[in-house]
Amino acid sequence: MAISLTESLQIGVNDILMRKVRSLITIFGIVLGVMCIMVVLAIIAGMNKSTMAWMQERGGTNKVEIERNWDYDFRGGGYASLTLAELNQVRGQIPEALAVGPVINSWGASLQYKGFSYSGQVLGVLPGHQRMESWYPGKGRFFSDIEVRENSNVIVLGATVAKELFKTEDPLGQSVMLSDQMLTVIGIMQEKIWESPGGGSFGGNALEYMNRQSFVPISTMMNKIEASSLIQSVQILAKSPEDALMLQEKLKLILLHIKKGKAVFRVSSAQETIQQMQQNSKIFSMIFIMIGMISLLVGGIVIMNIMLASIKERTREIGVRLAIGARRTDIFVQFMVQTVLITGLGGVFGIILGYLILDLVSGYLGMPMLAGPQMILVSLLVSVGVGLIFGIAPAVKASNLDPVMALRDE
Amino acid sequence: MEIIKTQSLIKDYLLGKVKVRALAGIELSIINGEFVAIMGPSGSGKSTLMHIIGCLDSPSAGEYYLDGDLVSKLPKSALAGIRNRKIGFVFQSFNLLPHLNVLKNVELPLMYSGLSARKRGEKASQILDSVGLSDRLKHKPNELSGGQRQRVAIARAIVNDPSILLADEPTGNLDSGAGGDILEIFNKLHKAGNTVIMVTHDRAVAERADRIIEIRDGMIHNGDLAN
Repeated sequence: MAISLTESLQIGVNDILMRKVRSLITIFGIVLGVMCIMVVLAIIAGMNKSTMAWMQERGGTNKVEIERNWDYDFRGGGYASLTLAELNQVRGQIPEALAVGPVINSWGASLQYKGFSYSGQVLGVLPGHQRMESWYPGKGRFFSDIEVRENSNVIVLGATVAKELFKTEDPLGQSVMLSDQMLTVIGIMQEKIWESPGGGSFGGNALEYMNRQSFVPISTMMNKIEASSLIQSVQILAKSPEDALMLQEKLKLILLHIKKGKAVFRVSSAQETIQQMQQNSKIFSMIFIMIGMISLLVGGIVIMNIMLASIKERTREIGVRLAIGARRTDIFVQFMVQTVLITGLGGVFGIILGYLILDLVSGYLGMPMLAGPQMILVSLLVSVGVGLIFGIAPAVKASNLDPVMALRDE
Repeated sequence: MEIIKTQSLIKDYLLGKVKVRALAGIELSIINGEFVAIMGPSGSGKSTLMHIIGCLDSPSAGEYYLDGDLVSKLPKSALAGIRNRKIGFVFQSFNLLPHLNVLKNVELPLMYSGLSARKRGEKASQILDSVGLSDRLKHKPNELSGGQRQRVAIARAIVNDPSILLADEPTGNLDSGAGGDILEIFNKLHKAGNTVIMVTHDRAVAERADRIIEIRDGMIHNGDLAN
């Protein structure tokens, strides 16, 4: 037969309206804490999302790459390259890989067409390279396995290469000169675009370097263009991000074995990069969540003290309520509801303030920040939770008052 | 029929480490519909007796029957319900809640007995009408005179149709005119069949009752039914 929650809510709202200024000051810590936590969660969600989007753009999270290890001191001997035989040796030991894509990189190769020349990166690859990078020709086609087998004189141009070398002309079917070989243009890759965060200050398309690449069959590169060329990097596609991590460890051992213990290669995986980024953001977020927690703790203690003081002031009221039939649970619920209302209100203010700040910060950094409904829910739950925890002591104190003593209170 | 009956009611207090006996064996009977005044000098135990009769406190020993029920052995949690349904309190200092308007103050006991908001409003305004305050429903207590405040308090005390009306120095803070009005309301309530118990140290006020019970040193000195 205790009074209903609606009743307690009404009493609570009345009490808060009666002491507006005090209530506002009381909730300050909660506002700060909730705001902190919400902003951090939103920034992390935004960063994770842009990391994932970047990884997708760079060929997905199942990719493992073998490249030159720039930290290795090559005065100790060894070359950061693989022969075809070594590549086959590697391939034979990783049957679980979906695809293996060796790359021969010709830096600063000069492409010539009708007296114009374009200096850029030409890569000798297999047709599987498209899948590895999830990057396909936008016009024309990529070369086939048959053209690789036959050392065909074909080339696929990057979007920027095509634009700068051919201007308004259609490059498809034209011939370009590379070294002493005439190559037929059979395709033009899709343009890669990635507006990096803070584009204003750092400038432009982070993937523009890919638009400046051109591709020839790896066999043509080895046998006709750079006679003694070796494989400098290999891309491997695993079945899943988890497999990619295992494959990464396995490849490190295989390569160390092939290179007789010399760590001339660096083996990296998209998954590992993501984990590192998440690790970094974790430290950052821990600091801010700690600040948020401390604000909430301090805010909670402040509220507890103000509620205790308020109960002292209202002893007589409690006595009157007890005299006319309020149960201890009624009094307990009344003060509990009031505390939770105050902290909940703080939570709402915190969320609003958080939104304003996110709007400001993401506009300034040009970075997406995600404050979804689940984050609002978490913030609200946290603020209500603080009320529930720090409301207990005042509510217990109020409900334990002796009616005779309380009525006698001046 | 006896609405109140006590047997060898004893109440001890600890004052520091000293045990003080406030009530030393009270044998009290009050019949349904009586108007009784309890008198006594300060420290006589009359307040303690009133607290026990009003179920705000429990005796250390002895029995207290209210409306035929043995309430002296009830746990504190059960006493709240009894205070709500069977007892109406009127205090010397009115004890209205300052931030609630007159209507809301009178509705409070009904709220704690679980009546719906609509019924509460109806019943409370009806009672306020009967004490002549139907034009003051939305006023806050501090906008009323002392006599008006005490009438609100009486309305609050009787709104739940209690078995007894318990008034502690109800005219103590009022001038004689307003005090007379309040006593007149008690008289009317008594005539309508209510049991009224009034604690006072003012003999002129006490004379308005059917019977005066005098308490001294925690015992009934004079005025028990047996005498």
